[in-house]
Amino acid sequence: MTGWLTRFPVRVAIGLVAPALLIVLWQWQTSEHIVTFAPPAAVGTALLDLIRSGDLARDTLATLKRAFTGLAIGVPLGVAVGIAMGIWKPIDRLVGPLLHALRQVPMIGWLPLMGLWFGMGATTELAVVGMSSFFPSMLNSHAGVAQVEKRYIEVGGIFRFSVAQRIRYILLPGAMPLVLTGITQALAFAWIATIGTELLTGANAGLGVAMQLAQVQQRLDIMLVIIGVTAALGFTINQLFRQLRQSLLRWQPSV
Amino acid sequence: MSAHPHAREDKPPQSVQHGALSVRDLDKSFQIGGRPHKVLDGINLDVRPGEFVSIVGASGCGKSTLLRLIVGLDTDYSGELRLDGERIATTSLDRGIIFQDHRLFPWMTLEQNVELALLNTDTPKDRRAKIVADHIALVNLTGFEKAYPHQLSGGMAQRAAIARALVTEPRLLLLDEPLGALDALTRVHVQNELQRIWMAQRSTMVMVTHDVEEALYLGDRVIVMSPNPGRIRRIVDVDLPHPRDRRSPLLHRLKDEILAELTSGADADAADNLVHLPSREPR
Ligand SMILES: Nc1ncnc2c1ncn2[C@@H]1O[C@H](COP(=O)(O)OP(=O)(O)O)[C@@H](O)[C@H]1O
Ligand SMILES: [Mg+2]
Repeated sequence: MTGWLTRFPVRVAIGLVAPALLIVLWQWQTSEHIVTFAPPAAVGTALLDLIRSGDLARDTLATLKRAFTGLAIGVPLGVAVGIAMGIWKPIDRLVGPLLHALRQVPMIGWLPLMGLWFGMGATTELAVVGMSSFFPSMLNSHAGVAQVEKRYIEVGGIFRFSVAQRIRYILLPGAMPLVLTGITQALAFAWIATIGTELLTGANAGLGVAMQLAQVQQRLDIMLVIIGVTAALGFTINQLFRQLRQSLLRWQPSV
Repeated sequence: MSAHPHAREDKPPQSVQHGALSVRDLDKSFQIGGRPHKVLDGINLDVRPGEFVSIVGASGCGKSTLLRLIVGLDTDYSGELRLDGERIATTSLDRGIIFQDHRLFPWMTLEQNVELALLNTDTPKDRRAKIVADHIALVNLTGFEKAYPHQLSGGMAQRAAIARALVTEPRLLLLDEPLGALDALTRVHVQNELQRIWMAQRSTMVMVTHDVEEALYLGDRVIVMSPNPGRIRRIVDVDLPHPRDRRSPLLHRLKDEILAELTSGADADAADNLVHLPSREPR
């Protein structure tokens, strides 16, 4: 895996080919009027306006705060419950079936119920984002503990590990690759859930709110700016976590 | 010490006192398909303190099962297992084991792996780093302390496993085909190292191997087992001082004898066991 194709600047350049082609296609179709679309230049102007007015910063921060507050609740809870289920069978038997049934309900399906309980506000948004990060964290952490090989647990037995030592030195590190996979999924799910709830609950700020407002005002340029920012932010968060994951798993041969 | 015919002359005899293993009328069965299946039948064996005993036998004759019972990973058996008179009921830091797969924790460096073995010993914390370094040096891995297991070759990983098993100074060390996965050249190298370590440490060792030459080169005695159910068929004394010369005529003669023993039962059945493939008959 060496060679100039994998060098960072080259990789970035190659990654930019497809977006560039998309912009060319977009410019071309703007003159042909196949669907209603703002020309790239108009979108550029809208972006600058949104930056200058501070609207973009306000909406982005509101969305990030929503996403990460939800993650801060859902991920630790999900990892803890998943690991507990993996370590202690009775806990799995007790809450496993319920959780597996509940996770079949799509995130959006919870909105009406939550709305009834908490109103269409911050609590509901937090609950939905939290849940959408809870389930992938929980499922992967559970699987992570369950797939720790018995031969390693036997080594713990040979050296007289206590239950706490077995968890700390064998089960947790052994489960770590899948725990981190779960968190990666949780990040993606929470991001989607945040934008989704913003669209549906009518919060007072956020990227989803801005999208909806743009639709009402028929501001195609703004809509495209927000979509672009949403995509870019989600992508960046995912990339940053990938770096963290790789450094945490440097003991693995294949990462 | 008179019980030990080849006392290594360079060490004071009183340094070997612990590590007497006694196996009495050991039977072991597994439930297979709801029916008991006898794997070990009437095993009787006494291993002297500081002795190196090799075990050879057909695959499936219960060698690994025997070691797992002695180390305490499996406690469901009938008969008696004692180390220095004490009945074996669970695992203990007095008994170590090295498996064919090195079983180093992949998420820890070599150094951390070895040090973790000391977790539940009363070794003072401030002396642990030194002891770990000494044992890493003992298996010639100095310089690789910070390496993760996947960065070590098979031979190096197995040597690291040896260091981890020795660091607790177990009275009895069990080795289950520890060199089975190594190439021939590496194996000879680690065999020499194992012999050197055993001569220096003088703990009791019981090693299972499928390599008769290896069994004879290292063992004071070689236990030959037969399968279905696993029994001790013969015990061969290897009356040669350590370190040994691989070219010794005695080792070669004993090797031929043991190989004959191991294959004699198989030869009788060989004609019956031949599978006839009609389509492959010469025309
Ligand atoms: N956990 C187990 N459950 C059922 N049967 C087992 C188990 N472990 C080993 N056996 C059986 O016991 C016999 C001896 O196995 P083992 O001790 O591994 O043999 P060896 O190490 O001599 O090759 C084999 O027939 C094997 O199938
Ligand atoms: Mg075996």
